[in-house]
Amino acid sequence: MATPAQRVRAPSTAAKGEIFEIKALITHQMETGLRRDGAGKLMPRKIINAFSCRYNGELIFSVDLHEAVAANPYLEFYARAQESGTLEFAWHEDGGAVYTTQQSLTVT
Amino acid sequence: MSIGDSMTRRAVLSVTALAGVALAMRPARGAPDLEIALAEQLFGRTPVPSGRLRLDMPPVFPNGYTVPLALDVDSPMTEADHVRTVHIVAPRNPLIRVASFHFTPRSGRARISTRIRLAEPQNVIAVAEMSDGSLLMAKTWVEVEVNGCS
Repeated sequence: MATPAQRVRAPSTAAKGEIFEIKALITHQMETGLRRDGAGKLMPRKIINAFSCRYNGELIFSVDLHEAVAANPYLEFYARAQESGTLEFAWHEDGGAVYTTQQSLTVT
Repeated sequence: MSIGDSMTRRAVLSVTALAGVALAMRPARGAPDLEIALAEQLFGRTPVPSGRLRLDMPPVFPNGYTVPLALDVDSPMTEADHVRTVHIVAPRNPLIRVASFHFTPRSGRARISTRIRLAEPQNVIAVAEMSDGSLLMAKTWVEVEVNGCS
């Protein structure tokens, strides 16, 4: 399986109090554990099971994902601009790997 | 009840059977709502169907592997009054829990978009846990043409 690649689209600036949209995507097979390989053997589950967004370290939004989330999980969600700083995004995979990315936000 | 547990379709069928028996024992009062019974079983409280929780999915969609889902809860998202979590359940999937979205007042809006897998045509259910402890519910019928869970 290819290494997951994660990316986020969020504004780099926002007005204080403004509610802005964030789009987050990670390429991932989301192997459900229900499929069988060519030999008929069940392929083990391996999915992204959690996503989180932190704003200057504070958790503002998170998701528990299960097998019925589509492959290459795509999330659109919102945040309220309060102070300048950093948005950090993390995707947790079955088995413990964590994929992260971050983006600066300037609040005027 | 541990929200993190995967819940299988067999467990759903047992809930449905239970709901059917319970309803048969009461005087007839209208069509049984199996989705409410299922949500009661999963979340331990009775959800109230509400127009404040909008679940938008295409009524017909060719590809069960990646069905668009959007939801929005009419809420001020203040400390005093906000949405804590919205759970998505697909009762006819082999594993019925889809996702749980956890909001905070700093989310600004309890609105998300994503894509999910559906195994067959069904009512997809959304249950919103509010900061005052109440549960709201909405459902929408999606007719998928290809099993996205195989």
